[in-house]
Amino acid sequence: MFVLAACSGASPTPTGTTCADPDPVTGTTTLTWDNFGHDFMFKYCTNCHASDLPNSKRNGAPIYHDFDTLLGVLEVPDHIDEQTGWGPKAQNDFMPGGGTNNRCPSMPGGSLNEDCPEPTGVERTNLAQWIACERLRPHDFVDAGVGSAN
Amino acid sequence: MNMVGRIVVVAVGLIASAAHADHHGMAMNDSAEEPRAFDASVDLVAASYSTLTYVGDYEGVLPAVGWSHDDYGFGASIGLYRIMLNGLDQHGIGDVMVHATARLYTAEHVTAGAMMMVSAPTGDERFGLGMGHTMVMPSLFGVWSTGRLTVSANAGFSRAIAQMEAGHDHGVWPLVEPMNMSEISWGVGCDLALGRGMHGVVHAAGGIPVGLVGHERVIGAARLGWTSGRVDTAVEVQTGLVGDPFTIRGLVETALHF
Repeated sequence: MFVLAACSGASPTPTGTTCADPDPVTGTTTLTWDNFGHDFMFKYCTNCHASDLPNSKRNGAPIYHDFDTLLGVLEVPDHIDEQTGWGPKAQNDFMPGGGTNNRCPSMPGGSLNEDCPEPTGVERTNLAQWIACERLRPHDFVDAGVGSAN
Repeated sequence: MNMVGRIVVVAVGLIASAAHADHHGMAMNDSAEEPRAFDASVDLVAASYSTLTYVGDYEGVLPAVGWSHDDYGFGASIGLYRIMLNGLDQHGIGDVMVHATARLYTAEHVTAGAMMMVSAPTGDERFGLGMGHTMVMPSLFGVWSTGRLTVSANAGFSRAIAQMEAGHDHGVWPLVEPMNMSEISWGVGCDLALGRGMHGVVHAAGGIPVGLVGHERVIGAARLGWTSGRVDTAVEVQTGLVGDPFTIRGLVETALHF
């Protein structure tokens, strides 16, 4: 039975990444939504993980896992870390592509018609670091008109 | 099938259902009629669901085998599924399940016993096919019968062999066998013999989360079964009453006794 268990896919694993104090610096730039998160999400994620996609066009992306806004990212930071981040405890490569045989849509809500773009190891490490820090930062989504204060 | 045999069928069937979210018929087993018995069964299942994070449907084929000797029985099963989740079509196996039962008390109208079920995480949890953890599900069952009527109840504790984190809430999981990582599982049922080997069953089963996050779950079901020689066949319709285990699920079972 446990041999069979070992045959199933790798489980989502927290990377164990923590945010240094003060905020970590990659090169000379602190990772933020504006200089890293937005571009990462729109390059690798939002063709499936977008709030304006109907359920049937999400190619398996869970509902309420929408990464076209910072608020959406901060709703499920653990899931992003466990599926895509690299860190001291795990290197997670499930997304993008792991759930769809490495095929991705070339346009939002499209069919799985091309090979998935693959984040580099540095990008995955930066993702985990950015998530670890961004979730700790103060946000005022009420003033932005997109959610409740955090 | 004699009365004791029918009692065992109902009791073990219901407890297997309640312990693992309601559709494993691996316990269609009339071991009480013979000192030793071997059973093989196949279930076909189809369901639609709408949960917190996924909407879709699935179909499955679930072969099972069982062996019994006097008051003791053992069984194993696994599901092979096709699942559609938020527009993604996936195929795969579910979690392997094994169980052992023991009749601890038998009287003219009453039977009681215990069951231990364990599942191994062979199904892919990311596609809703597996729990992602080994589950241990001990339980007790009791059955009372009179005339054509058999009433059963069972309760147990189901627990994942894993560290649970507060706030990490996916709802019940996996999609094909929804339950909490830690819960009190229960089931009640009523079986009425209709004659000519046919019997009708209504039953309910559910789970009450214990500790940390979780969701209550209750399903109701109606079942029609019939026996012909060494073959038992049943059709069942289930619906989710509390929580969102599934919207509706249909089940066809056939079991052959050797």
